[in-house]
Amino acid sequence: MFKKILIANRGEIAVRILRACRELGIKTVAVYSEADRQALHVRYADEAYLLGPSPARESYLRGDKIIDIARKCAADAVHPGYGFLAERADFAAACADAGLVFIGPKASSIAAMGDKAIARATVAKAGVTVVPGTEGEGSLQDDELLAFAPKIGFPLIIKAVSGGGGKGMRDVRNLEEMPDLIQSARREAESSFGDGNVYLEKLVEGARHIEFQIMADQFGNVIHLGERECSIQRRHQKLIEESPSPFLADDEPLRQRMGAVAVQAARAVDYANAGTIEFLVDKDRNFYFLEMNTRLQVEHPVTETVTGMDIVAEQIRVAFGWQLSRKQDDIRWRGAAIECRINAEDPYNGFLPSSGRITLTQPPTGPGVRIDTGVYAGFEISPYYDPLISKMIVWGETRSQAVVRMRRALEEYKIVGVRTNIPFHQTMMDTYPFITGKYDTRFVEEQFSMLDAAENRELYLDIAALMATLVAHVQMEHLAQVYGQLGKKSTWKWAGRRSRPNR
Amino acid sequence: MKYIAEVDGLEFPVEILDEHHIRFGKEILKVDLAAVSGQPLYSLIVNGESFEGYVYPDEGGWQVLLLGRSYSVNIEDEREKRLRTPEAGLASPGREFTLKAPMPGLAVAVPVREGQQVEKGQILVILESMKMQNELRAPYAGTVARLRIKAGESVQQKQILLNLVASISTTTPF
Repeated sequence: MFKKILIANRGEIAVRILRACRELGIKTVAVYSEADRQALHVRYADEAYLLGPSPARESYLRGDKIIDIARKCAADAVHPGYGFLAERADFAAACADAGLVFIGPKASSIAAMGDKAIARATVAKAGVTVVPGTEGEGSLQDDELLAFAPKIGFPLIIKAVSGGGGKGMRDVRNLEEMPDLIQSARREAESSFGDGNVYLEKLVEGARHIEFQIMADQFGNVIHLGERECSIQRRHQKLIEESPSPFLADDEPLRQRMGAVAVQAARAVDYANAGTIEFLVDKDRNFYFLEMNTRLQVEHPVTETVTGMDIVAEQIRVAFGWQLSRKQDDIRWRGAAIECRINAEDPYNGFLPSSGRITLTQPPTGPGVRIDTGVYAGFEISPYYDPLISKMIVWGETRSQAVVRMRRALEEYKIVGVRTNIPFHQTMMDTYPFITGKYDTRFVEEQFSMLDAAENRELYLDIAALMATLVAHVQMEHLAQVYGQLGKKSTWKWAGRRSRPNR
Repeated sequence: MKYIAEVDGLEFPVEILDEHHIRFGKEILKVDLAAVSGQPLYSLIVNGESFEGYVYPDEGGWQVLLLGRSYSVNIEDEREKRLRTPEAGLASPGREFTLKAPMPGLAVAVPVREGQQVEKGQILVILESMKMQNELRAPYAGTVARLRIKAGESVQQKQILLNLVASISTTTPF
């Protein structure tokens, strides 16, 4: 087994990977930016090295520096986590050239799936259905995109060729608004991925986003670990994920067909290690290949919770050259898991990001609750990185038990110092479409409102009034004392008065 | 000390009798308020019922997050209440709005210029922070009075980006 692994990431995912290494008895190396000197991943690692200034392009995106550090500290392998360098074929190739094992797929598989337009063409050739769009057209100019759009039909989506995580994506309702949206998508794609190329895809209405976790070794064994339902999204950012999908539910034949297609898509690019095949599923249960994420996903714990498999440990084992620890028939699913992404975003203020120092964090504990996080009280949420504070995953014997448990855990979870989207999740757990599992990818943006949903909750106007009044009173008393003291010419007189009995 | 707390248009008179007793309307309640670890997170016990919530100062009033719901509370002591004039803070013509950066970041685009007329909801500044592009929009129609930011500049939280003067609505009779 590997002796030492460098983790080329930060935040909760770096901590997650460190934990797997610890359990496997592998030494860990953290890298960090100036903003992250006190981060948990630095403190948990066996070794830690500074990469550079806080902006990602001067630190976590410096593949050359990371490889240099890995060689100097004699690491055997590099785990890229998600984001940053995880889907950069050139980085995977550079690791191999430097004699380091890249814990992920081969550079060629990343390249084949990384260009979303090429990926669609590749899997389509292997017989997998894709959402209609501009696949196989190469990179298109603005006027070509505008000319092609009516052939696909509206509504459609503009997507970044090098995209991921919802960046560089825009929904288009008609041709008139399209030129502006192309510009803003290109601008965001350029700043997020250094590539402003975009393509078009038909917007499937009422669709659900259902993805399959793939695991493959270097001997051509490919299995899937079932699905994750990720339709609760806002601006194409996933907020809640669950497994099993309430839409597939007992439709075992559909689940098996989708799983088989996912395996087939992975084989089409000679895939090894962990990956995810994303599908759109329409109301009539037709499913379309959306894209493949050639890395560990943020929401992998949902699958770990229902299958019992440690996906990160399995990634490390297959990267070392071992066979998959389980065959397809060995995979069993038990109960239901739900994950809420706790972000530093204010749901009462248009989900604006909130940065600042976390002064208190009181995570829930108790049966069936898992929290993956990289923060602690005293940690500064900086504007340099994504707003993910933690992921809370609950397990229940049934989906309804999981929902009730999530409600309980959300109520226990207290974070002070930055605003979080916990109230959003609490509201979601109380909405009828979520409870019954009848929602699609448009639900959050088109039907959900914090206010409407809150109508169903019990009102505590009197308690809120009382609490605010008491807090205001305490603060005014305090201010009165401070100003009172400052305003006095003679302090001893004030002190004397204060100490007078029965004042 | 007597206060009047207003939530959702309802008024609650609160009189602080001593450290642990208040008169709430007609009732006398036994209360105990404790700040958890000195944070704006409060534990409140009212006649034996236990609650936990966040209380933040917010635009002259208070925001209370309690059991998954947000409440806006305005508090005045009796004297202030008596002095208050009934004028409302509506978007009256000529009213000035100051757009401040809601978080630190990089202004990637400023698609307006000084003196420009903008519609309600029009994008004023695109601010990139935490890898997301956030579109800051006009709260009402108006004229960009003073632009203090250029595309490509970094901004601090609460830094003033521009001023917007509300248009005189054409439907308003003079």
